Amino acid sequence: MDLTRRLFLTGTTLAVAAPALLRHGLAQSEPIKVGSLVPLSGGGGPYGPEKAQAHKAVVELVNKQGGVLGRQVVLISENSETNPEAAVRAARKMIDADRVCAILGTWASSVTLGIMPLCQEANVVQIFTGSSDTLPNGDKKRLCYNLQPLNKAWCVALADLAAKRGELKIAFAGPKNDFAASMGESFSKALEKVGGKIVGEPLYYNPNQVSYRAEAERLISSGAPALFLAGYVTDLTPVYRELVRGGYQGKVFALSFAVGPQFKQAVGTAANGILHGSPVPPVGKDTYDAYLNLVGLKPNGQVQNSYGCAAYDEMNLLLLGIASAKSTEGPKIAEHIMKVANGPGERVTTFEQGAKLLAEGKTINYDGASSSADFLPNGMLKSRDFALYEIQGDKDVLLTTTTSEAEQ
Amino acid sequence: MDAYLVAILTIAGIYIILALALNLQFGLTGLVNFGVVGFFCLGAYASGIATESFHAPFVGGLCVAMVTGAVAGGLLALLSLRLSGDFLAIVTLGFAETIRLIFNNEDWLTGGPKGLLIMTRPVLADYSRSANAWMVLAVVLTGAVLTLALMLRLAGTPYGRVLRAIREDELVPATLGKNVFVYRLQSFVIGSVLMAAAGSLYAHYVQTITPDNFTTPVAILVWMSVIVGGPGNMLGSVIGALVVVTIYEGSRFLTPWLGFLDAEQVSALRFIVIGTVLILVIRFRPEGLLPEPKHTPVVPATRRPALKG
Repeated sequence: MDLTRRLFLTGTTLAVAAPALLRHGLAQSEPIKVGSLVPLSGGGGPYGPEKAQAHKAVVELVNKQGGVLGRQVVLISENSETNPEAAVRAARKMIDADRVCAILGTWASSVTLGIMPLCQEANVVQIFTGSSDTLPNGDKKRLCYNLQPLNKAWCVALADLAAKRGELKIAFAGPKNDFAASMGESFSKALEKVGGKIVGEPLYYNPNQVSYRAEAERLISSGAPALFLAGYVTDLTPVYRELVRGGYQGKVFALSFAVGPQFKQAVGTAANGILHGSPVPPVGKDTYDAYLNLVGLKPNGQVQNSYGCAAYDEMNLLLLGIASAKSTEGPKIAEHIMKVANGPGERVTTFEQGAKLLAEGKTINYDGASSSADFLPNGMLKSRDFALYEIQGDKDVLLTTTTSEAEQ
Repeated sequence: MDAYLVAILTIAGIYIILALALNLQFGLTGLVNFGVVGFFCLGAYASGIATESFHAPFVGGLCVAMVTGAVAGGLLALLSLRLSGDFLAIVTLGFAETIRLIFNNEDWLTGGPKGLLIMTRPVLADYSRSANAWMVLAVVLTGAVLTLALMLRLAGTPYGRVLRAIREDELVPATLGKNVFVYRLQSFVIGSVLMAAAGSLYAHYVQTITPDNFTTPVAILVWMSVIVGGPGNMLGSVIGALVVVTIYEGSRFLTPWLGFLDAEQVSALRFIVIGTVLILVIRFRPEGLLPEPKHTPVVPATRRPALKG
């Protein structure tokens, strides 16, 4: 058979068009792909696994109940390594090879910001937990939702506690990263509002040092009657050890996630007297208990998996957003997440309840496990519970719980 | 999937430039430079600051990056090139770490840990997302091909021969009247310029850079590309970089078959695979996948004994 020009043209056209035709035919039954990009190693390593587990648990549950819009959900998991370079490559793979409609679970602000240009360009929704005050800036297409209050909000709660304890002169120290840097600025503002003052310049140190003696000596010699150490468990432990070794006697304020069991084990009884606070899940609330049961934990009246419960909300919000938008296009999903999260509508706490009501044409208002999951117009969280604790006899003793509203 | 291949080829192109630059320094001249990532970082930030703070076009940023790389490479070389192997390795490693820490702390210049957002891209305006990706790939591959051509040319000339002689035994070229220090300095500076250029391409490709993007593991990957490919062989470095990037990125696609491992273990597996490949290559093929061609001197034909009679 001779290869005529007409045959050649028809043949090539068909060959080129085939993938597109197939894709169109398959689109209705194709699974919905969702990316989970959590820190399984690096600075966020202690918090990533609970997020990955929560994402997986929700997806398995939803698939068992019949999926979203009749389609199965496929979870693509990658490790962000708490490093933007690795995260960008992982996000490329998720966006271009897997064609996910959303990337959930990023934790470090540098990672969330690092993958933001890719997600914006490809219209991929991002739902994450992050506190850096610069997070909303890069979200030009309004595709981002944050389940953690920004630093401005937590510092108000901590400064209030400090003032109540009569500590008005506090020195600040933290690792040189985006989170701690904006924490330092916000804390000094919040402290000034309650009549206090930061002693000296805020001290930023480089994480992953072999020794923190010089930093500890500088804090001690500043003569500050109290310190606020905004570090993570990996750097707070050595800094605190050096402070104790150097004979520091003042009060120490810290962030709850840094003074967990790992920290207490490392420093022993020296941990007594540390005051700490952070956003907490609403202990005792039905939604939080439902999350704990889902991942196989028992509600015990204590804070457990404070990032896992946020990850549970990340996945529920996304899937409800898809169910409400009846689409997997990023901008549409993002628009509908706002509707299902803020309402108005009937209160729902799981995907199953929400999807049922949405199918009946009703409106819903998702109430989450980490907070009520209501957002400001820029996608940042409206309010979340804060708890303030004191370590006494190796245990966290709850001092007070407040609900902090974010600034508009 | 095709879009992903474009992305991976772009990353591979950047690694090829880095590997070729290191091959000039280590493979040809025998300079142990562990500070690859320092020059890479310097180039990325120099280019980013030039285009974002001073509104230079992409090509301007690239030139600024190369000049910065040359100046930094020259200064570091003047300070440290008289040091031999191991000491040079430590100095360059320290240099890379110093650059990263400076950029992390000088917020006014680099944005510090918040990172630098780069809007300038080496693309024509108003094209689709996939067309943009192809354009970036074309720019990076052009850079890689130009670098390869330059390196092949350098390695084949008498100049390349002097560099190899310095690597083998610097006393011999010195005896022949070659200024060994100047040759080493030139080799180091050319390598640094290319690494900085790769940094510029990287910065305008990923569009957000933070000091965390430039940690030692990047330098280790470049070193592995050179070792696996075959030190001294320029095509070997290209193959080496492709092999390393393929293993590094390709291992992601094993996840569906590794259901018994969680994501954390799979990501650790990636480094185990790369480490194993390195050990196997060093054990069974220490000269690399493409060994350096042997340069045997032309032996003049032995004179036949004169015929008697």
